[in-house]
Amino acid sequence: MRAFRALVRKDLVLELRTAEVVPAMLVFLLAVFTLVRFALGSSRLAGGSRAATGMLWAVVVLTALLALTRAFAQEREHGIWDGLLGAPVERWIMWAAKACSLWVFLAVSQVVAVPLFWLFFLQQGPSPSIPVLIAALLLADAGIAVLGALLAGLASAGRAREVLLPVLFLPFAVPLVLVASDLSVATISQQPSGFETLKRLGFLAAYDTIFALLGWALFEYVVEE
Amino acid sequence: MRDGSTRARLDGATVAGTAAAVLMATALWMIFFYVPSDASEGFSQRIFYFHVPIALTTYALFCWGAVNAARYLWKRDMSLDLKSYVPMHLGVIFGTLVLITGSLWAKVSWGIWWDWSSTELNTFLIIFLFYCAYFMLRFSVPAGERRATYSAVYALLGVGLIPVSVAAVHLGQDIIHPITFTRHGANMDNSMLATFLVSLAAMLMLAVTMYLVELRGKRLDERVAHIRRLAQGRA
Amino acid sequence: MSSCEAAVACSGLVRRFGDRDALSGLDLEVARGEIVLLVGPNGAGKTTLLRVLATVLRPTEGEAVVEGCSLPGQARKVRGRIGFLAHEPLVYPELTVTENLELYAALHGVAGERVATLRERVGLARRGNERAAELSRGLRQRLAIGRALLHDPSVLLLDEPTAALDEDGRSLLRQVLAEEGRTVLVATHEPEWFSGVATRQVPVRAGRVAA
Repeated sequence: MRAFRALVRKDLVLELRTAEVVPAMLVFLLAVFTLVRFALGSSRLAGGSRAATGMLWAVVVLTALLALTRAFAQEREHGIWDGLLGAPVERWIMWAAKACSLWVFLAVSQVVAVPLFWLFFLQQGPSPSIPVLIAALLLADAGIAVLGALLAGLASAGRAREVLLPVLFLPFAVPLVLVASDLSVATISQQPSGFETLKRLGFLAAYDTIFALLGWALFEYVVEE
Repeated sequence: MRDGSTRARLDGATVAGTAAAVLMATALWMIFFYVPSDASEGFSQRIFYFHVPIALTTYALFCWGAVNAARYLWKRDMSLDLKSYVPMHLGVIFGTLVLITGSLWAKVSWGIWWDWSSTELNTFLIIFLFYCAYFMLRFSVPAGERRATYSAVYALLGVGLIPVSVAAVHLGQDIIHPITFTRHGANMDNSMLATFLVSLAAMLMLAVTMYLVELRGKRLDERVAHIRRLAQGRA
Repeated sequence: MSSCEAAVACSGLVRRFGDRDALSGLDLEVARGEIVLLVGPNGAGKTTLLRVLATVLRPTEGEAVVEGCSLPGQARKVRGRIGFLAHEPLVYPELTVTENLELYAALHGVAGERVATLRERVGLARRGNERAAELSRGLRQRLAIGRALLHDPSVLLLDEPTAALDEDGRSLLRQVLAEEGRTVLVATHEPEWFSGVATRQVPVRAGRVAA
């Protein structure tokens, strides 16, 4: 537990000091929202909030990739794995700590993303339920984080690392985006039954659980040389 | 003893190949001549007898690949890596056929090249994406224990992806407009069932044959590479 | 020398990287308290051997036993007793000296107070708040030594320790080596420097112990 806390603290301190990941994510968000906004234009945004909400989820995933690509970067670039692996710490704790700090980065980026999203796309017209959106974001972040922490280890050995990680991750993001988008979009016009909403939130939680279990079991194989 | 083992492998592939040929011939005959045309969809519905068996075979290949991936992580035996990789590889080939036959079926049945309301097709699309990513991973890591380990880990992650995709596609029906008619009728009569099962058996046997043949080929490749290394004086 | 007295015992140790055998059947026994120098040309396998013994690399074939624990199966049990000084200092450049040591203290389950003691020991007492990146190479190496000694290991694995050290650093190393009760394996290109303290030299060539 102490090791876990120390590792998470290390990631957060490093990010605060080097500002490598989160600012890049924020700039990326702003750029993509601008791009999409201008590409769709006012008249063409007839699909309106529904299209925009769906698009938000795609952007969330793409932004997450920025954080995932930099996960374990320090350990790789400075050979620090030898130090960490030589310590009497269970490998899955390293994975859990990385997933935890990734989750924090994602959540922080979305604190900015949601208001920006509202500003760019939702000012007029109907909007999705914000509490549901936030709950979905937090749950989706957890899924991205647990899977991303594992995949970041996998991709780091490959040749074209920055290209490989998105390729490895995106198939897993598809079901996530499918359900999260459906969930958010449904809250725009109709009032979906609480059961339907819970079912989809439950799916996100199940997704998190399945990949957390797989990550917990498989991470040691990824880091052992 | 070497002779015996080679002969045993040859026999396996030959037996499977023969069985596959027989089953395939039977299946083709049944599909085109035996089974009656579907009442609502007509002759073109017969694509179903190719499409679904191939899809099921793809899932079977994937499961076999995942099982061997888990066994590899357990035993660290490189031959298990090969036995995991080959089914995944065949899965991509069969998977492409699934997508093609699925597309054809959508075209002849409803005039569209891809049926976005089909839960099976869309689930399959996600799995196919995953297969492709597996290959990207495989090609970007140099051969050796690490590639085997990473491939095994990713294959096992895919095991989580299958139920997740099925559930997601079913939940996400809102995005893809629901279509209410069912595809292959409420019941299949006996001749349809028989045709389907024979076709399924044929596809599975074809997969087994290709698996055994490709496995043998890859093993030979490795032996040649090993001998070449020895000849070069163990670099 | 029976193996139950040996701190380190390798038998037929092989480590393969793709096509290349970095270790090709290495046999070695090191008794408790010995200071053994591994000498040999670059690429002989000295670093690979140390990394295997540090439980950072798994052996491909053969046996490696450290303090009675066989690797890789029982690696978890013995990690806390091994100190590894690698080529790289294995510290986060953007963390301070103290932060790096505190992280490793947490990972090794060592009391936080020990960090200050160790900083004194390696001569970084007044540099606790400097980032590792700001340190000179010699000071960073001393930080690395501190990191390796943090958990008071009974087996020390040193990979080219003298390479980056200045004169103060070298005397620190000499003190460390003079301490009793530790088994030390040193890969080095400067065996002469160790002549006072080393028990013996083991030549390593092409992945095994040369005759």
